[in-house]
Amino acid sequence: MDDWVIAMMLGASIFLGAVALFAFLWAIKNGQFDDQEKFLNGAKFDNEDDLNDAINLERKKEELKKNYRPE
Amino acid sequence: MSTKIACNHCHLEFDNDMMIKEDNLRFCCNGCQGVYHLLNNEGLDSFYEKAGSTKLAPPMVNLDNSSSFDAPSFYEQYVTKDKDGFSKVSLVIEGIHCSACVWLNEKALHKMEGVIEADINFTNNKATIVWADDIVKLSNIIEMIRSIGYNAFAYDSATGESHANKERKSYYLKMAVAIFASMNIMWIAVAQYAGYFTGITQNVKTILNIAEWVLSTPVLFYSGWVFFRGAYFGLKTKVVNMDLLVATGALLTYIYSIYITLMQDGEAYFDSVSMIITFVLIGKFLEVLSKKNAADTLDIIGKDIPNEVKVLTDNSIVLCKLDDVNIGDTIVVGSGERVLFDGEIIKGSGNFDESSLTGESKPVYKIVGDPVVSGTSSLDADIYFKSTKDFQHSTLSNLVTLLESAINKKPRIQQIANKLSEYFSSIILALSFITFLVWWIWPHSFEISFMVGISVIVIACPCALALATPVATLVGLSLGVKKGILFKEAAQLETMAKVDTIVLDKTGTLTIGKPEVVKEHLYEGYDKDILYSLVKNSNHPIAKGVRDHLNGCSEMIFDEFTQLPALGIVAKFEDKIILGGNAQLISENNIDIEITSENSLFYFAIDSVIVAVYELNDIIKEDAKKLVTTLEQQGIKSIMLTGDNGKVAKRVAQEIGIDRYYYSQTPQSKADMIDTLKAENKTIVMVGDGVNDVLALAHADISIVMGSGSDIAVDVSDVVLLNDSLKSLMDAFKISRTTFGLIKQNLGISLLYNTITIPLAMAGYVIPLVAAISMSVSSLLVVGNSMRIRYKWNKN
Repeated sequence: MDDWVIAMMLGASIFLGAVALFAFLWAIKNGQFDDQEKFLNGAKFDNEDDLNDAINLERKKEELKKNYRPE
Repeated sequence: MSTKIACNHCHLEFDNDMMIKEDNLRFCCNGCQGVYHLLNNEGLDSFYEKAGSTKLAPPMVNLDNSSSFDAPSFYEQYVTKDKDGFSKVSLVIEGIHCSACVWLNEKALHKMEGVIEADINFTNNKATIVWADDIVKLSNIIEMIRSIGYNAFAYDSATGESHANKERKSYYLKMAVAIFASMNIMWIAVAQYAGYFTGITQNVKTILNIAEWVLSTPVLFYSGWVFFRGAYFGLKTKVVNMDLLVATGALLTYIYSIYITLMQDGEAYFDSVSMIITFVLIGKFLEVLSKKNAADTLDIIGKDIPNEVKVLTDNSIVLCKLDDVNIGDTIVVGSGERVLFDGEIIKGSGNFDESSLTGESKPVYKIVGDPVVSGTSSLDADIYFKSTKDFQHSTLSNLVTLLESAINKKPRIQQIANKLSEYFSSIILALSFITFLVWWIWPHSFEISFMVGISVIVIACPCALALATPVATLVGLSLGVKKGILFKEAAQLETMAKVDTIVLDKTGTLTIGKPEVVKEHLYEGYDKDILYSLVKNSNHPIAKGVRDHLNGCSEMIFDEFTQLPALGIVAKFEDKIILGGNAQLISENNIDIEITSENSLFYFAIDSVIVAVYELNDIIKEDAKKLVTTLEQQGIKSIMLTGDNGKVAKRVAQEIGIDRYYYSQTPQSKADMIDTLKAENKTIVMVGDGVNDVLALAHADISIVMGSGSDIAVDVSDVVLLNDSLKSLMDAFKISRTTFGLIKQNLGISLLYNTITIPLAMAGYVIPLVAAISMSVSSLLVVGNSMRIRYKWNKN
């Protein structure tokens, strides 16, 4: 019984940590920390408009991808 | 003087009555006005809110036609296809001053039909743009960037830079994993050690072991992969390197710990596995961080050379690709443009800046029939010349080829730590194997002998040795940055400490590099403001020298203003004729001259009366003499090289106290000189600043460049002196020597430490606790010792 509790706690906490680690790795790979200035300014300036912009851009990209047939 | 008011777009301040007025708005020029309205119409006016009062550059007008961006040759060179088939280009955006500029550019581009991605880096102004080529052309994108007041040019990102970034990024990922896992293993290890002393059931111990096993696996095989790869390549070239020691040590410990875990008996060492990998990986990263890439340098050279020139054919001027220009074609060079071909002038005359060949800032006046050399640039006139060589054989192209080969062949002096670790690794591996054999032959079980053998590798602790150099050099580098000295590669600190000869360029290094007023003669009728306004608009170095001398004057507006090549400036102000220029200009206007001097003279006359004469000369930097004597005391010989003539060279050399000097040197002969010295088995530092020094810089063991030097020179060099002073050159030597001493100490500490602990390990006295503690202690000793450099620095 005691052993189980230890095993579960270890497993759960390592799992949670791993989730955070993977989020961090994803962010590095995604280039979110490439530009230090921009990354810091994002927190200062980004607002609803910018979020909308980002999603519109994503949609535009998807749409173009669908129609785009490189020769 | 009327009040100054800021332009609504660029925020630069001008006199109120000079500005374009529009209701409450004020603009300094049509460009700013255009951009302001464009942004308002597009709904991008929150840019101004974001930009605050940051001063921007007013938009440029009359840029070249952007259609050249659509040329197939351009596409071939710069545009790549991404995996979805979209086009992708890397640009450098000019005119970015603040994060709002980045925002504006990205926003404007995102709004364009067909643009999929626009990502601009604020720190280096580089942008990556992805677009669908059938919807929008690159020229439209460039037009958009220009229309909002910026400019863009392409650069080839395929080579060095992206590679270096990728490597750095992969290290970040590996370190993130390693640090995360190690920190978790640490707190599990706390439980293990507590259990070791106070008692722990075997079940709990196994659970903890399994958790450590899970955590250390990615550390060893993901983060530690670089060591396996390094060991493999080392073995392939028959070198036993540090990587092999780290890899075998960690792998054996890992396997042994798995065995212990499964057998449910004894102590596992997973914590050692992850700690070794993490520590050594950090050390390796520190080295990668400060490594410069030769390929980066070549990028910059390529950027400086435009890919097209203007060629005259049948009375019309067309743009022609460099390789398509034949010998005998007539090439047109506008004022301020660079000459890319060697040739002979057939029409026009003017001043040429030949500093890239001779290092001298004094322009050379050329007329019809004179040869022009590629790499120089026309300062003030449109010149027509006939090419005498094709591009592949031009002086400029030769210089680039020579430089490329010099950079690639640059010798690497083997670093002391690398050499040491080679022996060290072999010895440790051998010792551990012997220990294992001895224990086994002597009656012991396989398990015990194996464990003792491994403990030798673990206790030998590559951490301290691997950290010895990077930590010391990092401290040295940061100290350098504080003093305005940029060492581009950590290893250079060590090489520089072994230098015995210093080769100095004269112009720009020992001297200021541009003419400065050394004497002024003022006469009746002198008007400071008129003179300032006269010289303000000239690009000639002499005029610039006079302008810098007269600061804090107000500017007049002339009725007429003409620059005469090789003579000076003529202007008209309130019906008075103003002359400013050399002796020839003055005597041509029938004015008598009385002063003679060996310095360059600048005459200033109002209505045929000389009102001022300035004597200008290139003066020697204040610390030059002290530098030479100090270096002499430390056993470093000084040699001076210059493209200037013998008379000037002799005067400067005598004044500073250098006995060995060579004059009238070309870029090639400077490099040859370095090679000759190298053949005499000397380790050489070359200090220079200009394009003419680039080859020599690339040939020297260590090259140091003044921060104000040309881009290429800065790129080729190993060390950059940001504040241009010779004092920081002395500091650079001091820092490198201190750091080298520190490296030796650190290596000494880790070796001493090993000679104590390895025999203990071989005798089988090492319990897990001792291993863990000793590992951190040795690393701490090395790091602590490195921190001492500040104290040591103050003492010297």
